[in-house]
Amino acid sequence: MRAVTDEQLIQWVADGDTSCLATLFERHHKAVYQFCLQLTRHPAQSEDLVQDVFIRILRKAASFRGEGLFKAWMFNIARNITLDHIRKSKRQGSESLDDEMMDQNLADQRSAEQSAAGTQKMNLVMQALARLPEAAQQVIWLGRFQFESYDELGQALGCNAGAARVRMHRAMALLNSTYTSINGAPIDV
Amino acid sequence: MSDSKHPKLPFDGENESENALWDALGEASDAEPSPQLRQNFYRELEEASRPRFPERLRDLLGFSGNAGWITVAASVLVGLGAGQLLDNPADDNLRLAALEENVSMLNRSLILDRLDNDTASKRLRGVMDAAFIAGDDAEVANALLLRATNDPVPSVRSAAIGALGTQMSTPAVGKRLMDLLQQAESPLVQLALVDLVLRNGSERQINQLEQLADDGLLHPDIARHVNTSLKRDLV
Repeated sequence: MRAVTDEQLIQWVADGDTSCLATLFERHHKAVYQFCLQLTRHPAQSEDLVQDVFIRILRKAASFRGEGLFKAWMFNIARNITLDHIRKSKRQGSESLDDEMMDQNLADQRSAEQSAAGTQKMNLVMQALARLPEAAQQVIWLGRFQFESYDELGQALGCNAGAARVRMHRAMALLNSTYTSINGAPIDV
Repeated sequence: MSDSKHPKLPFDGENESENALWDALGEASDAEPSPQLRQNFYRELEEASRPRFPERLRDLLGFSGNAGWITVAASVLVGLGAGQLLDNPADDNLRLAALEENVSMLNRSLILDRLDNDTASKRLRGVMDAAFIAGDDAEVANALLLRATNDPVPSVRSAAIGALGTQMSTPAVGKRLMDLLQQAESPLVQLALVDLVLRNGSERQINQLEQLADDGLLHPDIARHVNTSLKRDLV
């Protein structure tokens, strides 16, 4: 029996079958969590944001037009919610740790297993990524881990494929220069 | 996380370092949310969906009280009739598939919750249910392994060990169970582990077991059980 598509499931959520949202949650919550974590650098806040994203999906299910990918629509919602949260946090100055410390925490958390495997390089890459502006982090994260084409990436970013490609190249150039400044040299080729 | 799990967005950087960075990003590890997230979400989903349905229905029908419910009942009957007329088997199959996925997913969540329950009898029930799906589900197998190694109640530990029987050949599980065999103090747990190794263990694991028995690291009755079983196997 073939798997039901995300697009069909969200249609049924819109029709009132909220149990289908649970299926969508199971399929995508880890990816959304990792995306939020990349931007907030805060595990507990990221978990709250994941819940907000899926509850927003429940409320807005009827507005999914079915023309594009559900995943792109979902990440669009995740982007808006996460960026709103970051803006509010910055306004309220509610961060309990300063950014640099958070970067280090996140890099340490992510790099625990990688360091064990001797990949210090990965630690630096993640530190560099965490230091980029949120917009650049989003583009790289979504492009590298979630989508297979610039058309899909564009849907998630709310722009067309050409603009998504340009944003990706700018973001990667920025990552390259940030990595070089942290490491003192470009990454080994 | 291995790069093969990631979709492949074509990226051709301005220079070699950008391409190397792109490749390096593929090796980033997965950060896992806590199990609490799933529990909190389902609680919130229940709350979010409960009050809205009657409200939407009432708004939709423009009725309240008995008149509304009579209209609902009539609509259901009309809907069933229309369903018979406009039967669409392809859509039915999709819905059935979705339903199956929902049921197995809820079952899985229930098992994971039970494995983490404060009550030993519920954990034991979770262990028994988990035995059926642990072979295909790494998260459930890990939760079971946690019960096998850390549960404070020996009967739960030994049941979890038994449930992991088919996983004995998985390197990570096999190694942790063999480590546990050397550390376990409860004879009940030792016996469960020994039986598991005798039943599903590799030759190397059985040799290791024999060595433990010879070195006096097992309860004397269990060491005797090991020797008897192995001799019987040899005969």
